[in-house]
Amino acid sequence: MRLLVYHEVVLNRLEPDVRRQAASEAFYSRALPRIRRFMLGLAIPVAGFVLLRFGLKIALGFLVGCAIAYVNFYWLKRVVTALADKVTATGECPSSAGVVLRFLGRYLLMAFAAYAIFKISPASLYGLFAGLFLPVAAVLCEAGYELYAALRHGF
Amino acid sequence: MRRLSYLFMALSAMCLATPLYAQGGGGMSHADWVAITSGFAMAIASAVCGIGQAKATAASAEALARNPSARPGITLALILGLALIESLALYTLVIIFAKVA
Repeated sequence: MRLLVYHEVVLNRLEPDVRRQAASEAFYSRALPRIRRFMLGLAIPVAGFVLLRFGLKIALGFLVGCAIAYVNFYWLKRVVTALADKVTATGECPSSAGVVLRFLGRYLLMAFAAYAIFKISPASLYGLFAGLFLPVAAVLCEAGYELYAALRHGF
Repeated sequence: MRRLSYLFMALSAMCLATPLYAQGGGGMSHADWVAITSGFAMAIASAVCGIGQAKATAASAEALARNPSARPGITLALILGLALIESLALYTLVIIFAKVA
């Protein structure tokens, strides 16, 4: 009987901590999808602001930069996942050459888009560069959100 | 022998007289210096970012191999780290473009 009471007391004390830890892990595991949503959520209003403030060409350049940054971030995630599969010997175990080519392909995509925009409309290049910083802005938003969640929910 | 030493001393003194070899009016302009320093700045930024990415990837691969159960946290940190390191090279590129163009 005494043992049962002791177990109940201990479990009641531990349960909130375990629940909180599980909630915290679930919260941080959703960070990458949240960053991608932040990227989408930031791109459209900022593109509207750029359109009103700087004109159509720079806004188009900004949107192309945002699209490249989004694809770049997605490919980066895939490359890191493939690398983790390779290291831990889980999943499909992709070839090393494929991982390296995917990693370098992101830079080729950026360089090709910058060259094409530079040839078509050099003024849009400023918009493209601004769009390429979209992941940084999204990471900053995520950092702010995590700080808010940590203060509010104690994660 | 003494004459020979005088000759060598005179020749060495002439070698030190750098204005003798100075260029004419067509020196390097401001734009040339901007282009040269931009190239060096981009090269240094790319090299340092490459080193940073390599160190981050190596450390995370080692951490994954040691503790595969910590994979979600390690991959998240690696993705964010690589994205932010890349943005540093982009900052340099933007500054160079603003200065050169």
